[in-house]
Amino acid sequence: MMGRLLTADFLKIKRKGLWFLTLLGPFGVVALQMVNYGVRKDYLLQQSEDDWGYFLLNVHSFTPLAIVLGIAILTSFIASIENETNAWKQLIALPVSKLTVYLSKFTVLAILLFLASTLLMIFSLGYGLFLNLGETIPYLELAKFSYFPALAALPILALQLWIASVSHNQGIPITVGIFGVIFAYSSYVLPDWMIWKWPSLMNQWNEPMINVMLGVGTGILLYIAGMIDFARRDVK
Amino acid sequence: MSTILRAEWFKLRKSKMVPIIMAGPIIGLFIGLSANLEDNMQGIEMNEWYIALFSMNLTYALLFLPLITGVFASLICRYEHQSGGWKQLLALPVTRGQVFVAKYVLITLLVMAMQILYLGSVFAVGMLKGYTDPFPMEIVWKSIVGGWVATLPLVALQLWMSIMFKSFAAPFAVNVIFTLPSILAVNSERIGPYYPWAQPFSMMYIGGNTDDVFFVPWEQLLTVVGGGFILFFLGGYYYFQRKAI
Repeated sequence: MMGRLLTADFLKIKRKGLWFLTLLGPFGVVALQMVNYGVRKDYLLQQSEDDWGYFLLNVHSFTPLAIVLGIAILTSFIASIENETNAWKQLIALPVSKLTVYLSKFTVLAILLFLASTLLMIFSLGYGLFLNLGETIPYLELAKFSYFPALAALPILALQLWIASVSHNQGIPITVGIFGVIFAYSSYVLPDWMIWKWPSLMNQWNEPMINVMLGVGTGILLYIAGMIDFARRDVK
Repeated sequence: MSTILRAEWFKLRKSKMVPIIMAGPIIGLFIGLSANLEDNMQGIEMNEWYIALFSMNLTYALLFLPLITGVFASLICRYEHQSGGWKQLLALPVTRGQVFVAKYVLITLLVMAMQILYLGSVFAVGMLKGYTDPFPMEIVWKSIVGGWVATLPLVALQLWMSIMFKSFAAPFAVNVIFTLPSILAVNSERIGPYYPWAQPFSMMYIGGNTDDVFFVPWEQLLTVVGGGFILFFLGGYYYFQRKAI
């Protein structure tokens, strides 16, 4: 059942721009560094001995913002595909459980998110090689900066999907997304327990792994809460 | 014209716009109370209000203001996109141009209302922190009204996009694509003045030149904000004239 629902959901997002946005997000993050390094490469290379590390940090300064906004856009898109034509009713009328419907939507979004992370890794590597930042390429750091923010952002994905799938007015999840990006932008003043701080990989112990663990754990909890709430609601 | 405006207002009143307008002052309070610039600025002789305004205006004008205008624009087209509202609205004895202008005017009024509430939150932050310096009324008005003027072209583009796309997410995606680069643009002296999405920040940035009416020179205001406004407003206007509904 799950496989067929996934196929259906992937069919529904065809030609709606979701794949394009998934590509554009990581490309945009690296493109901003192309502008940044294009304008003042010499200055930026002087800033640090570790050119690769500094480049990855620069890329990472935009990653959390792009992830938070991207999640808000994609979840709202997925929900409005059903909302716009009142298709929730028809979807739930099929011999599928509401729990699997929700799981399938979440899986599609998670796949898009991880595709975006993989693309981010490829684009950063590509532009880093183009910049000729040094012989030793820090593959491990590269993978960390690409996948850790996405894993740490799982609670945001779960929360946004929850809000988007239960609100009729999509202005509400979008506004929550704007709050999220403001929080992500000012994450250095946020306390460690705020989920919008986690994609920045900052915490008081200076250990990104904690954010990933917290992200996955809280993400699962928020996902279950959202799924139960979605299943209990009446479909109007 | 006034009847269309009133009709738009009635439709808007029940569509949950109050919590979204309140987002402005809430964000203002959050940034104002969470930032602790006072510690870094000790020893510098400065009106205390400026310190609060520096940190609050930065985040508010750079990201929040351009993004929220898009939400207002989508919200104002939402009831028309649902179940054939455009057809019903345009079957009335109104021209498409009037509908477009009425929607535009209403969004700008909403942004204005939010700016004034944001001013209230600036004041509240000062009260909570116990500022005793005189309130810099002139500068605050400059940046409140200036921020509003700077959103005029952005509102026009967002209204255009909201009429074009049925979902909330698509116009918002366009908005995000243009707004995020302004974080880099404001750091550059060459690109910053010409980037329309960076204008709310430049207009609200209180460190600017205070001789002019606003914090940016007139030439920049007229060319970038004025030019952007004409381009986006006319684009949206003619798109709506020709749109098949």
